[in-house]
Amino acid sequence: MSAQELFGILPLLILSAGIVILLLQVSFWRGHLGALATTTITLVLAMTSCFWVAGSLSGATSSIQVTGLLQVDYTALFFCLILLLTAFAISIMGYNYLRLRCDPKGISGSYPEEYYILLLLAMLGACTLIFSSHFATFFLGLELISLSLYPMLGFSLTGDLSPKREKLQSLESAIKYLILSALSTALGLFGIALIYSASGALDFVGIASRITELSQTSTLFATGVTLLLISIAFKLSLVPFHIWTPDVYQGAPTPTTALIATVGKGAVIGFLLRFFNILDLYSSQVLLDMLSIAAIASMLVGNLLALMQTNIKRLLAYSSIGHIGYLIVAFIIGKSTFGTEAVIYYLVAYIITTLGSFAVIGLVADSVEEKVLKGEYPESPLSDVQNPYQRAFYRGLLWRSPWLAGCFAAMLLSLAGIPLTIGFIGKFYVFTAGVEGQMWVLLAGVVIGSALGLFYYLRLLLTMVQRDNVPDINNTGAVQIATSGQLLLLILTTALLVFGIFPQILINWINAL
Amino acid sequence: MTLLAIIIILFTGGIIAWLSERYFKAGGRWISLITLLLTAMLLTNYFTFIHSTGVGTAEPWWDSLQISWIPRFGIDFHLAIDGLSFLMLALTLAMGIFGVLMTWNDISFRRGFFYFNYLWTLAGVVGVFTAIDLFLFFFFWEVMLIPMLFLIAVWGYEQRIYAAIKFFIFTQASSLLMLIAIVGLVYIHYTNTGQLTFNYNALLNARLPPGIAYWLMLGFFVAFIVKLPALPFHTWLPDAHTQAPTAGSILLAAILLKTGAYGLLRFNLPLFPESSIEFAPVAMTIGAISIIYGAMLAFAQRDMKRLVAYSSVSHMGFVLLGLYALDTIAIQGAVMQMIAHGLSTAALFALVGALQHRLHTRDMQQLGGLWGRLPKLSAIALFFAVASLGLPGLGNFVAEFTVLVGSFRTNHWMTALAAIGLIGAALYALLMMQKVFFGKLNKRLEKPIREHEATDLNIRESCALLTLAALLVFIGLHPQPIFNIAEQTVQRSTTKIEAVLNIQKFSPEKISSQTHPTRLEHTSIEDTTP
Repeated sequence: MSAQELFGILPLLILSAGIVILLLQVSFWRGHLGALATTTITLVLAMTSCFWVAGSLSGATSSIQVTGLLQVDYTALFFCLILLLTAFAISIMGYNYLRLRCDPKGISGSYPEEYYILLLLAMLGACTLIFSSHFATFFLGLELISLSLYPMLGFSLTGDLSPKREKLQSLESAIKYLILSALSTALGLFGIALIYSASGALDFVGIASRITELSQTSTLFATGVTLLLISIAFKLSLVPFHIWTPDVYQGAPTPTTALIATVGKGAVIGFLLRFFNILDLYSSQVLLDMLSIAAIASMLVGNLLALMQTNIKRLLAYSSIGHIGYLIVAFIIGKSTFGTEAVIYYLVAYIITTLGSFAVIGLVADSVEEKVLKGEYPESPLSDVQNPYQRAFYRGLLWRSPWLAGCFAAMLLSLAGIPLTIGFIGKFYVFTAGVEGQMWVLLAGVVIGSALGLFYYLRLLLTMVQRDNVPDINNTGAVQIATSGQLLLLILTTALLVFGIFPQILINWINAL
Repeated sequence: MTLLAIIIILFTGGIIAWLSERYFKAGGRWISLITLLLTAMLLTNYFTFIHSTGVGTAEPWWDSLQISWIPRFGIDFHLAIDGLSFLMLALTLAMGIFGVLMTWNDISFRRGFFYFNYLWTLAGVVGVFTAIDLFLFFFFWEVMLIPMLFLIAVWGYEQRIYAAIKFFIFTQASSLLMLIAIVGLVYIHYTNTGQLTFNYNALLNARLPPGIAYWLMLGFFVAFIVKLPALPFHTWLPDAHTQAPTAGSILLAAILLKTGAYGLLRFNLPLFPESSIEFAPVAMTIGAISIIYGAMLAFAQRDMKRLVAYSSVSHMGFVLLGLYALDTIAIQGAVMQMIAHGLSTAALFALVGALQHRLHTRDMQQLGGLWGRLPKLSAIALFFAVASLGLPGLGNFVAEFTVLVGSFRTNHWMTALAAIGLIGAALYALLMMQKVFFGKLNKRLEKPIREHEATDLNIRESCALLTLAALLVFIGLHPQPIFNIAEQTVQRSTTKIEAVLNIQKFSPEKISSQTHPTRLEHTSIEDTTP
């Protein structure tokens, strides 16, 4: 392993080092802020290292092959950077969430620091998955994400101050995810085995070199790829492998929900792009047909089921199913003028908006939790109006907390794909890619899905502007969220608007890959 | 630059109006008024062009501004103005000022935010009327919707949320079809020429395969007739109009509906001349049916606002009929109808709003015999009601008459059918006058009149309404200036279509594939020759 190879995986090394340091730090000196600081420093260093590595990649060496297991190139580094930024935002959300729920001085003494270790582990898995050029690293990365997600999903149990209902739901979501994820992993592993038995190779380039002789003929190979895709579709929560999504999203701590919805999906998309490109699976019509069907089903089912949700986290869960459907539409175009570009742009848009909306929900719920702890608020909400996860709670929010509601409105408009937001440019990209590939049926699916989506996004938006039952001007109903959260929302909203109004900036970055 | 300045002033004016409400109690409306007057003054810069451009000038645009925006897709921030845009801008700004004046005291809840939305809607509409880049057009097309949505949803009446969502889903879903059509058009142009651009001037020369062109044309058509609105897609309109606050109804009726008609004239006819000719009979049928159907439903309403809303469906049917007659005179009539309908309907909505504000009802069963109590209001309402039914000497008559004259050459039956709609107009307009203003004072009104101290129109309202009345009389008696301004744009649409028609008439190989009356004569001659 040469020095250049080691340098190539610098982001991974930094993340691993960060995990070790954090483990040591926690065993000697417990402290919530300290753990957060180490995490953020690690993430920032890893991001900077992405730039260093990208700087060293130029001209002849546009990619570094590391021991046949990992391959570092511009696209992977870009994905890595985006996901690390996401993790940074999630660590801030996590801090605000855990601050209120874990009380180290309490009787049982619940400690929040493990959350950050798990977060870094999940990021290590995500980055490995993106860099992987071999099924071993693919499996390692995927499992690393899943394994650290299980405890993160059930993390409410650790907090002795979290409400009982929250604990139960969190446990439920963790167990559901554990069982279904294990099942899908088993399927994926079996798929890998079949691919190996058909092609005799586990590294992607090796499989690609044999693919001409087996792609169309070998049923073994086709079955293997299908099983692998099923496992991936589970992670992406594509219909019909979406059943777990709403329950897991709803029950999990909101920062974890944001993590699973952004990093969990982004890493898999990044891997899928590379996998399809190297193996040139775009030429296999059967696979594309399967993906098309899954995309259409996701767009329709996701948006249809979201229509009647009153719980906002469930609503966003279903809407994210729909959004991954749109993304797959762009994905199917493949290696054309706009295909890959559209996928990456849409993914960035999806991550920014999803992160933003979950940040709003999480921070609003935290502010309510703070009031509960102070005894100003009933612990178990009597009605929907008092439950921060219900739509009714957001009634008239624009008049109570205009800035917060403004950010949320921007996120919702972006999800709905309205101009001036990044979501619109993303949808425009999907349309362009769809027209380029002449996939009219899929485009019809996008239009119908978007029209359905408008209904529930708008209903939520209009709930926020309803003017009846607005409390007095002395701001009794105002929602006070933490300063770090406000900053986070401000940055996300700015990014959403800037990339929505001047998309060329982001397009240039993507095209430089 | 003037165009950009107008848009920027409207946007910033909206933000200032919002912020100012914190510091001055009534800052919002004054700032809106000043902003609108300022933009109207800027628009007068273009007066010089009205006389200087004749038909047949090489350069179609009076003024244009092009800034690169998203080079990846060949998208420019490209604004331009010509005669049609100028007329529409003048209408937009005039109705904007009228709306502010008429609803000066109506809004009490979050006034700053109201005027923010009001000005942003207008800014979006100005963008729609001047954007020449198709992507930019779509961008503004959507930008005007969101503030309108808020206007309806926050300040509307009882069913406002339902109406707002319905309005938005109808327009948004149809505009997604337009987006696909735009992208499809651009992509075909790109594969033909290797040049990726959303520029209208370049796309005018795109050569499209007939089958695909027809579908693309339909994509645009659906988006525009939903906005217009024409028959199968009109159902959002009565709800949105009825539930919107008065100023919102004025914006919707006077301006937003015109964006659909404008889009048909600016984009559908010139971009897809062949498919438009093919589609014209269907479009004219839709127009004619809308006229009759709208009039019939208007006649059946109890709610005054719904009545005026359905009358809009009927009147905009004339626009559709005129545009797809594909005849210079008919299209001129359609443009005139856009303006005349804008003026008369805005005034009617303002009057209904004034009544609602005074008496807290718009149910015609609850009203009656108001002439004695509110003579000024009633007299002005009579004027606009007869304007709406098409009294000769007023703008609407000129418009409808021109549309019918122009269309008759193209399609006798549909025109005859449409003319029946005029009777319907007389019926519902006079019925409304009879029920609301004539007769004995409705007993149920005595209490509200005493309680709310219903007063007649004040000077501000009277002046605003009388100005509109004067304008209607002016264009009714002397419509030529408006025809002149619009002529160049109309000519450019029709010359393309006439060129196609001529080719179809004279080239024998095309005749076999096209359905055209001349084919019959031609084949019959051939059959008899041997």
